[in-house]
Amino acid sequence: MSLLTVSNLTKRYRRDKKAIAAIDDVSFHIDPGETLALAGPSGSGKSTIARLVLRLIEPDAGRIDFEGNDFLALSGAALRARRARLQMVFQDPLAAFNPRATVARVLDDPLRIHGIASRSERPRRVAELLERVGLTADLATRAIHEISGGQRQRVAIARAIATKPSLIVLDEAVSALDVSVRGQILDLLLDLQRQERIAYLFISHDLGVIRAIAHRVVLLDAGQVAESGDARTVIDAPQSAIGKALVAAVPRLNRIIRQDPT
Amino acid sequence: MSPLRRFLRAPEAVAGAILLAALIAMALSASLLFPGDPQAIAGPALLPPFQDWSLPLGTDRLGRNVLAELFHGARTSLAVGLAAAAAALVVGAVIGTLAGFAGGLVDEVLMRITDAFQTVPSFLLALAFVSVVGPSLGVVVIAIALGTWTGPSRVARAEVLSIRERDYVAGARVIGMHPMAIAFREVLPNALPPVLAMSSVIVAAAILTEAALSFLGLGDPNRVTWGGMISEGRTVLRTAPFLSIVPGIALVLTVLGVYLAGEGIVETTAVRRGLS
Repeated sequence: MSLLTVSNLTKRYRRDKKAIAAIDDVSFHIDPGETLALAGPSGSGKSTIARLVLRLIEPDAGRIDFEGNDFLALSGAALRARRARLQMVFQDPLAAFNPRATVARVLDDPLRIHGIASRSERPRRVAELLERVGLTADLATRAIHEISGGQRQRVAIARAIATKPSLIVLDEAVSALDVSVRGQILDLLLDLQRQERIAYLFISHDLGVIRAIAHRVVLLDAGQVAESGDARTVIDAPQSAIGKALVAAVPRLNRIIRQDPT
Repeated sequence: MSPLRRFLRAPEAVAGAILLAALIAMALSASLLFPGDPQAIAGPALLPPFQDWSLPLGTDRLGRNVLAELFHGARTSLAVGLAAAAAALVVGAVIGTLAGFAGGLVDEVLMRITDAFQTVPSFLLALAFVSVVGPSLGVVVIAIALGTWTGPSRVARAEVLSIRERDYVAGARVIGMHPMAIAFREVLPNALPPVLAMSSVIVAAAILTEAALSFLGLGDPNRVTWGGMISEGRTVLRTAPFLSIVPGIALVLTVLGVYLAGEGIVETTAVRRGLS
């Protein structure tokens, strides 16, 4: 059974009394422990889907089933409790944290809110989380703005895994990082997926990264699914017009395909 | 450069700090230097200043020591000014945060209430409130806060409207934080700097409003106030102008000191925030 099933999701925005569909009848599913990539040009609705799946905004139509339950039917305390299983990592690791926060507070919050560890136990759990994402425990006392971008994104991943989720939405989670750090963060994500069987909804415009880490891909164009399927198959031989355009726009990718016979 | 050193480099800020320090020293030392009731008769009536060195600023119409009254009046001015401004800032920040964060109907209702308070002149509001409830220190504080919380509330709301769209607020929702905790732990502290920047103006205005209320006889009758002293002196303005001039000067210097020191603090901390 799939972990997350999105059916006929639709979100419209009103502009000058005209309703514009940002997301139009989109359906997809994610299996446990799987990485599904969402790709598409700017404005194709990738981030809107991320926010809909996380219930940060509400859809106009459609259905979201998560872990076998109607996710859109939840509200209030029941929704907040269920959020433990569905986490997110943002693109800009600086904007994703309260500018006044320390690393310890950022990681303490989810443990406290979901009652995962007692007050006396929490500092140890924070240290464990930091070590889990490849950071040292003494980083806990530092302010968020005092650590580097790569460290910050590791803290963001630590916060996301603190509540032991089954699905993490990664909204352009490595796009703001420089290339050397990007590789390390992707390795960390793959490592976590192998060990904890976390599924990822991986939103990116970087087809090279998607081809390297995603199992399946959904290509979006103007809020609709243009093409979907196995990540390598789709990217190596796109069928839709937007898929061809996206692949053609990545100069690096031609070289990768030539080197890799699969 | 540390904020303190930057503060000390601005001459107007230092002048303000000195005036404010003098005022606080006056307020704190009032009962040490002038024990007993400042409203007790201390000498002959209408003694001019600098005549008798035991009564350096002379006496008023009833023979009360003007210097003692001035020191005790500093207490009232400072206490009422700070308490009213603090109340206005707290109420304004909380209401502005709730309105901005909740949005929709809650925002509509809270903002229409703010409008209602803002359309009534704040001094008239204070005047009406004190005359209905009766003059005492607490009532005067509430009366002044009643007319001043709307400014901070609008500034806080505007700030919250921009902050609530930030990623870290979405992040707080994703980890399952309660909306009230998000509003007051994540949003409000980050919306505060521009609200606090208004505090110097609000404290200065509150001190003036208190003086005006006292001048009209609506201050706490059991306490010496500078506004009350000016009002008392008004009846003998031609023969003993110093009775109005002395507390008047004290009032001007106090408002100036509060304003300059407050602006100095805001400016130096603003630069610090810009750097980090």
